[in-house]
Amino acid sequence: MPDLPELNPVVHGRLRLALLSLLSGVEEAEFTWLRAKTEATDGNLGAQLLKLEEAGYVSVEKKFVLRKPQTVYRITDSGRQALTEYVRALKQLLGPAATM
Amino acid sequence: MPDQTTQQELNDRLAIIERMIAEGRRNTESWGWTFVLWGVVYYAAIAWSAWGNSTWAWPVTVSIGVIATIAIASRKAAHQPETTLGRAVGSIWMALGISMCLLFPALSLTGRLADPHVFMAVVSAILGMANGASALLLRWKVQFACAVVWWLASVATCFGTDAQSMTVFLAAIFLCQIVFGIYAMMAGLQRKRPASLDARSA
Repeated sequence: MPDLPELNPVVHGRLRLALLSLLSGVEEAEFTWLRAKTEATDGNLGAQLLKLEEAGYVSVEKKFVLRKPQTVYRITDSGRQALTEYVRALKQLLGPAATM
Repeated sequence: MPDQTTQQELNDRLAIIERMIAEGRRNTESWGWTFVLWGVVYYAAIAWSAWGNSTWAWPVTVSIGVIATIAIASRKAAHQPETTLGRAVGSIWMALGISMCLLFPALSLTGRLADPHVFMAVVSAILGMANGASALLLRWKVQFACAVVWWLASVATCFGTDAQSMTVFLAAIFLCQIVFGIYAMMAGLQRKRPASLDARSA
């Protein structure tokens, strides 16, 4: 029987996985948009984004648009690679049942 | 970790990935209001120029439409994520707006817009092109149907009488701007229903 792959614990968290998946489909996204999509609280969302940032999976940029502060997040190359490897591992664990 | 992770949890993770990637790619902000706004602008300009017989009808109403669109769009777009698809569709409509704002005043000032059939045919063709390109990018059949209506209107306005051509043009505006705009707004509202991921998030 082949060895089962390990799932990356940083990517595995539900909210972190959702954030990486959301960011993989856009070039950049604002904090408020990520909050609306995940319905997470500000504190939890900020904490999970910080973990992703510390892991090097997302990059953050603070800027002003129409004189209002905006925090914009982007998935990094290593974040995209981590998500791809996570999906590959997930499919391997699920076996033929995985249809993605 | 896999030993302790249940099959249900893994399926849950897979579902999150699929749902969130789809959410990210979807332009959640409804742009249906722009179609309704410009439908009203066209009607106002046509009514003013027909009954008021003013050469200022189109420049004034279009200028108000442009200012209103920029003001509302800049507020709405400020919180939207940037996507290649969104930029592509936005570019089509921006290029359409610039083309129309340059072409028609120039034609009008030089007196080459004397035939209303040409005006209606060109406007319909340009709107057909923009709707068609946008529909193909978004794979949106309803918008492609609007493009077909505009293309048919473009041809019909060349052959009909003044009254027939105007009727066709007004009907196309009603269908492709007002009705389609309201439909797009309703479709946009129905999509705004994210499932909370806050529980068990870490």
